[in-house]
Amino acid sequence: MRAMTMKNAISQIARILVPIVLVFSLAAATHAAVPGITGGSTAGASTFNLTAQDGYLNQPDGNAVYSWGYGCNGAPAGFAPAVVPFTTISTCPSMQVPGPTLIVHENDVVTINLINQLPTAAGNTSILFPGFNVCTGTLTAGVCSGTTGVTGLLTQEAAPGGSVTYTFVASAPGTHAYYSGTQGDLQIEMGLYGAIIVLPASVPGNCTNANSYHAKNLAAEAHWGEADYRLSQAAYDHPASCYDREYLFQWAEMDHRIHRQAEAQVQARIGCAAGSVGCSLDVQTEPYHPSYFLINGRSMPDLMDPNYASEYPHQPYNGNPHIHPGELLLLRTIGQGRWQHPFHEHANHVRILARDGNLVLSPAPAAGCATPGGGCVSYTSGLTGDPGVTAPGLAGILQFNTDTTPGEAFDGIFYFTGRGLNWDPYGHHPGADVGTNGLTDPLAHAGCTADANGYNTGDPTAVNFFEWCQDHNKPVQVNPFGDVAGGGPATLPDSNILTNGQWYGGTPYLGPDASLRASMPACATGQPGGVIPGSNPPVSANCTTLNPANTQANPANERGWAFMWHSHNEREITTNNVFPGGMLMMLLVDSREFPIDESL
Amino acid sequence: MRKLYQFLLPVLVLGLAPAIASAQSFRVQCPDSTITHPKSLHDNNSEPAYNGPTVFGTQAVSGSTGGYVVPQSNVNGAIKCQQISGGDGYMTEADGTQTFMFSFGPLSGLADIAAGRPGTQFPNAFNTPYLDWCTANPASCSANGTLVRGDPAATDGANSSPYSVGTPGIFTWNGAVGLAPEVVDTVNISDAYEGVLPTGGSVAPPCTTPTVSTPNLVTIYTYTPINLPMNSQVIVSGVGTGYDGTWTISCVSNLGFPASTGFTQYAFQYSVPASVTGLAPQELLTGPTASAPFLPDGHVDPRQIMDIGVMNGNIPAPLIAFDEDDEFFLTLTNVGMAMRPDLFEQHTVHFHGYPNASSFYDGVPDASVAINIGGSFTYYYLSPDAGTYFWHCHITPPEHLQMGMVGQLYVRPRQDRVAVDLAGGKLYAALQQQNSGVDLRTACNPGADILCSAVTPPTANTVTRPDTGTLCSGATPLNEGTKPNYVYNDGDGSTCYDVEYPLQMHGFDPNFHFVGMTFNPEMFADMKDKYFLLNGRSYPDTVGPNSTLQYVTGTGSTLPIAPPGPQATVSSDGTMHYSQPLPAIINIPAGGKAALRLVNLSVSEYHTLASLGIPMKVAGWNAKLLRDQAGNNTEYYTNSITLGGGESLDVILDASDITTYKAGQVYYLFTPQLDHLSNDAENFGGLMTEVHICNSVTGGNTFGNTCN
Repeated sequence: MRAMTMKNAISQIARILVPIVLVFSLAAATHAAVPGITGGSTAGASTFNLTAQDGYLNQPDGNAVYSWGYGCNGAPAGFAPAVVPFTTISTCPSMQVPGPTLIVHENDVVTINLINQLPTAAGNTSILFPGFNVCTGTLTAGVCSGTTGVTGLLTQEAAPGGSVTYTFVASAPGTHAYYSGTQGDLQIEMGLYGAIIVLPASVPGNCTNANSYHAKNLAAEAHWGEADYRLSQAAYDHPASCYDREYLFQWAEMDHRIHRQAEAQVQARIGCAAGSVGCSLDVQTEPYHPSYFLINGRSMPDLMDPNYASEYPHQPYNGNPHIHPGELLLLRTIGQGRWQHPFHEHANHVRILARDGNLVLSPAPAAGCATPGGGCVSYTSGLTGDPGVTAPGLAGILQFNTDTTPGEAFDGIFYFTGRGLNWDPYGHHPGADVGTNGLTDPLAHAGCTADANGYNTGDPTAVNFFEWCQDHNKPVQVNPFGDVAGGGPATLPDSNILTNGQWYGGTPYLGPDASLRASMPACATGQPGGVIPGSNPPVSANCTTLNPANTQANPANERGWAFMWHSHNEREITTNNVFPGGMLMMLLVDSREFPIDESL
Repeated sequence: MRKLYQFLLPVLVLGLAPAIASAQSFRVQCPDSTITHPKSLHDNNSEPAYNGPTVFGTQAVSGSTGGYVVPQSNVNGAIKCQQISGGDGYMTEADGTQTFMFSFGPLSGLADIAAGRPGTQFPNAFNTPYLDWCTANPASCSANGTLVRGDPAATDGANSSPYSVGTPGIFTWNGAVGLAPEVVDTVNISDAYEGVLPTGGSVAPPCTTPTVSTPNLVTIYTYTPINLPMNSQVIVSGVGTGYDGTWTISCVSNLGFPASTGFTQYAFQYSVPASVTGLAPQELLTGPTASAPFLPDGHVDPRQIMDIGVMNGNIPAPLIAFDEDDEFFLTLTNVGMAMRPDLFEQHTVHFHGYPNASSFYDGVPDASVAINIGGSFTYYYLSPDAGTYFWHCHITPPEHLQMGMVGQLYVRPRQDRVAVDLAGGKLYAALQQQNSGVDLRTACNPGADILCSAVTPPTANTVTRPDTGTLCSGATPLNEGTKPNYVYNDGDGSTCYDVEYPLQMHGFDPNFHFVGMTFNPEMFADMKDKYFLLNGRSYPDTVGPNSTLQYVTGTGSTLPIAPPGPQATVSSDGTMHYSQPLPAIINIPAGGKAALRLVNLSVSEYHTLASLGIPMKVAGWNAKLLRDQAGNNTEYYTNSITLGGGESLDVILDASDITTYKAGQVYYLFTPQLDHLSNDAENFGGLMTEVHICNSVTGGNTFGNTCN
């Protein structure tokens, strides 16, 4: 059912604007994860057979934009995450943008066989793997011999119809870009780029310790029936790189005039002989004037549709992040176009872990980090039984705007807990009036016991697991609001002067339970809950002052807090001059009782 | 069917009830006491010193309230309030062009905003009605005692655009525009009795009929129901000595009953002091009244809001600044856009960078509520960690940001408030206290929290905050008027500064603004800024009328330099408005350090700002101290910084080397993106301003100060 949740309203707005009928997938939404293909790395070697082909990318304004992309030449060795139902829904078409996400393990010998099936006039193509020492011949025991493909400027290339092989050791964990090394101003613009994710060879003990936050988060996920979609438990072999969820965002812009020229010239040169006079493209790539702004090859609102949605046969990856309070979210981000984009994460900062697979660390003793101090930090939750692991401190900066830079990847950690709001996001109140005012929800009286860091983490099955206890029971409103006693700081206005958003839950509160309590009781006088003192005419103390929410994008069983994640060069949140669109997605922070289902 | 009908009818009636809205719903709110800041511990009209983490207790449960933590001692922070309008206005570009904007304008702190200071106020200032200031300042007050359209520019006598601003500073009121007493509920009194009622007299519940044991209980009968609740104040007037005065209502009986003479009577009661006895019954009165006291309660006079708020746009939007641990009440009042009557634009406030934000107060219309024309909404925030943030409207961002709805916001650290009593005022000890875990909200434990930056330094130090007249460097130049402060809770003094200046980089595309003033669709992909703004002005307006013209570049300035005033623009209403109150002139005392709180809110471009001469120390990034998890500072020196749209950083211009940087010298901040050093067709100007080295700086540590 959640397919309709995420895309509905804005997609409809955009689609009304354009005279085209797209087939809606009636499949439920898939919440991002980091889907990709594997190369059978169990034996320490991963092999990918890729092809470069042309195809059309669907944009929300109805345009089908001629593009080039990498795809699978035959079925890949496997798909990741290897959990149901990714194992059945995952596909790897012969052309997609971004190219297939290649998932390997640290120290794997990675072999990529690329065949060039682009139109002949497009000429040679290739792939660069920045950060890795690539062999274009045969790599045997670390020694590269022979060569494949034809000579190019930056690397060996595959001639039209020909092939080339790249082999390297996945020496550095983390998120890395790959992209065409041939005439990049045209070929990368046309879509020849992708991501390679290297999982660490070992996972630090604090990421899996039974008493750590990560184990508790996993227990909470299991309690609510959620699967574990992670590719690993840590991004690096470093105790500060543990994470609970992960998402990959590849940012690129697109000037469709370039694509039109390429399409026209390819059409005009069909059948030409490779290398013959005139069998090439002469596409102007300057002045550059992009009008589409893409994340993972899609624009808002298509971006938030499911992974592998049938509407976008060549754009399988989405951008639709969801988290629960307290979970650490690993952001894998790559700049794939030619411009920088200021990626603004609403709701909290992001700690930069690494750039292009290189951890940013404090200077630490050469002998290593036996004890904290001198550049070393003890990474522990502070919970009983979680001794932690000591390692060099992180030195990456904290940002609420993470720049995506062409050709550069970064990994960052984000979380959300609601700490410091000074009001209770769950709308708890302590009274013993269950059943006395028409309300029978014991969750209104849930307890909050602060752990060493101030969070309610004793019981991973609690709805308010990871609540920030200092604000427990604190009201948000001066006058009673919903099932919440009065005395808070602010007065909410007449709801008639407000316009509700598509993702607005209808109340200030987080989660279905709190929102229901706040908005359910009828605004009837004589309600047993009492009357707001001084109200004239008398208003029930249980009466919400807010209108019911739009339920399309944030339905009654979700009622998450939605935060916009977008380019803050704001003109880039448009699609071909129409707002909303472009580089824009919503992060949903969901309370625990809404199970985040990253699959169908 | 009949039963169903009966069931549905009340439902229908209830459903209609919320649809009854007033024509306007302007309100402001600024409590002087809250759960977190009870005035019993501190009056909230000043910032208490930091004596350590707040110590909490738990409010006892009473019914369905309580059960939450309340401060018991060491209450930190206070309450701050601000009101802003959402609407439109005009500004003046450096080439003289007047540009239409969608914009925010000040609706409180008008005098402070005009002077280049933050408009954020303590409750006592915010809650002062104009009439009260007017009464106390008759010479500055308008003839009829109401705000004048264009104020404060009108009262200051601003007479031509952009520089001749009359006499700034006549208008000194900082309260909330529109503050008015509650619509006075006055009723006429028919009878008044003290003690027992005449034979046959009674009152309906919940009031009780007085007896001989309640000789001082006064019962007032009125012709119409008094619209005041129990325990509220009431002013009784005209009945006679003893009865008259301001009293607390002990009960209200609004169930009318027929009086002996035929009309319907209502009653309320209060008690007079025991010494007041034997008051004679007063009956069948016609003149005396009972009314609510004149207390501002959040209701506003919409006439004043519209007089001041319409066409009152500022660029940058009103400056906001408050202190860590404060509670901040920000009221957005949407007055509509006079130049675009075809639009029904909502507005919101996005507090950009607020950590762990609620979506409700995040200002994203898709994820929360947007504020319609004619309405007010009060955003509520507990202050986040110290740092340089900013704010903007989040409705159709590529449009509303380009059109000018962008403002600056910064949070001062609790390190500025460290008490001498706290370990001798040592910064390191104060940071240790903050990170101790007594108040976990302020703690930074990097091993457990990956998103905090104010880590305690790896080794202890004894740095304390210098006194007024002393610079960060420890020097005490003659007549220096500043007091050092800090950008972050650094615990080592590394972010110390003597003067601070918020600087907003922005760009205006005149074509887009022209289209925005008309009824045509705007093209986003074609957006191309032609004016490059620092605090809403391009060079030479960045330094105002009082600087550049006084000396020849390269030979030094003629000191002293009075502060540039607010820049004014005649709007389409024919009235002068302060459109660009903030200059961008940087005055640094010789040997001093200036904190530049830099943000880029350009909708389309990255901006680079370079310093010609004085080194830039980058001390903070995106409202976080540059420090690694091991506690080492990762600050760095540079002579240029680059920011994308929506980014901020903290630069300290370090002029502490007095052998190099001498009073009278002028330096420049400018963009090396050379096409941005222009004002549309003028091949001159753009994103550039001046840095002045002064013998001393007086009149505050930010814009509006004087370079001596």
